[in-house]
Amino acid sequence: MSRKVLVVDDEQEIVDFMERFLIRKGISVVKAGNGDIAVEICKKEMPDCVFLDIQLPGKDGIDTLIELKQINPLIKVIMITGKDDLSFKEKAAQAGALDYITKPLDLSELNQKIQTYILNV
Amino acid sequence: MESSYRKGLEKIARQMILIHRADIVIKLVLRTIVRDLKVRHAGIFIYDKEREAYIAKVSRGNAGFKIPSGFVKIKKDNPIINYFTAKRFPFCGDYILTDTVEKLIRSVKLKNDAKAQEFLDGLRVNLDFYQARACVPGFFRKELVGVLFLGEKNNGDQFSPKDLSFLSTLASDIVMAIKNAWLFEDLSRQVDVNKRLFLQMISAFVSSIEAKDKYTRGHTERVMAYALNIAEKLKKRGELSNRAKFVDDLRTAALLHDIGKIGIPEHILNKPDVLSAEERGVIQEHPAIGENILKNVDELDMVRLGVKFHHERCDGLGYPSGLHGEEIPLIASVIGLADAYDAMTSDRPYRRALSRDEAIAEIKRNKGKQFAPSVVDAFLDYIQEANK
Repeated sequence: MSRKVLVVDDEQEIVDFMERFLIRKGISVVKAGNGDIAVEICKKEMPDCVFLDIQLPGKDGIDTLIELKQINPLIKVIMITGKDDLSFKEKAAQAGALDYITKPLDLSELNQKIQTYILNV
Repeated sequence: MESSYRKGLEKIARQMILIHRADIVIKLVLRTIVRDLKVRHAGIFIYDKEREAYIAKVSRGNAGFKIPSGFVKIKKDNPIINYFTAKRFPFCGDYILTDTVEKLIRSVKLKNDAKAQEFLDGLRVNLDFYQARACVPGFFRKELVGVLFLGEKNNGDQFSPKDLSFLSTLASDIVMAIKNAWLFEDLSRQVDVNKRLFLQMISAFVSSIEAKDKYTRGHTERVMAYALNIAEKLKKRGELSNRAKFVDDLRTAALLHDIGKIGIPEHILNKPDVLSAEERGVIQEHPAIGENILKNVDELDMVRLGVKFHHERCDGLGYPSGLHGEEIPLIASVIGLADAYDAMTSDRPYRRALSRDEAIAEIKRNKGKQFAPSVVDAFLDYIQEANK
């Protein structure tokens, strides 16, 4: 079964980098530059997993997370956070985020999470 | 190739102050690599002292290959870093080539060396994360400052020994630029610390005057505020040269203008009645005492003039030296007026404060007598604006 992952970040370079990283592992990728688009894509494409930037312009990562969980309560969401987003992290956990990964990312850690949550399921 | 890069670098180095702009050097180097070596992408990770990791800083290349700046880090225990810093295995050389790593993994010699195999596997996985075909270290002495990551060449060719020596040159240029930038940051941080320390020391002095003379309390701060406002208007009137230094010195001199009162007996300073002629004589020593206190501080030459002459008058009737008009340093004239205005508008046990308008009228009346005309004009500009 092919896995589908949604990547949500307002920085195009980050989305592109994440996309290529995932594609090379045989994962198909859909992309969104903000929360509203992420919600739309989630309805249409039904991804298994989401990498969601916590700081988004407009609708922020937490609100986006809550809506994604409403669309698909089983969706696995991994937040991408900044260093000082401690209160956000708590809120994200309460809102049903599965895990988080802190910027700047250690790609070994990212790789491990992809293995755990996407490939080894 | 190398010579055209050299020329390019020299051109840019001439146009900028290298020391401040490591980022420009790095960008130039990466542009050169992508253009001249024709690689799909190139990026540099630079050591971040706070995070204790190497952070992706600048990267060039196609979408998806380019590593977003600040998005990715490499920890110090990563095999790529270890390859250069620990050199635990005899095959750890001056650079990493992905092809060589692959060959080593398959080599008969290392087949039964579990530790080497584990290390090489880790290396291969990490190189693959960044789609790197080569890594070149940038050292400063024994410290690994950064690592260059190179993607595949567009035509699929291997990196030649000539390419690699060129890349080493580039890496050391980057390291020099970064080292300079770090040095510069450390220096400016040190300057900031010293500046803060200096102002704190000055504040401590001011507190010591205020502890002794109850009339001074709050006075110092107000005099400084008036003086800086007058300076602002003098600047607008084009009557200041070397403004930044003048303003810094004025701030310090205003804070310290009464420092000499430390040497005046308390019973005279705090006397509730009008002073006798003799007592006034003692009090009038405070500018000279202040100057004497600051005498050995070379950096405070201008400040000292402000402290010493803030009771001089245009008409020569002031103290301690009886200077006339233009002989009085501007810094002292500004403090003198600010000091007089605050004294007039503050209560004293033996007289009530003048109203603001009365004080302003008094200052206007004394323009050219007690006060320097240009300073009075600047003061009136300030008052007028403050009244709006």
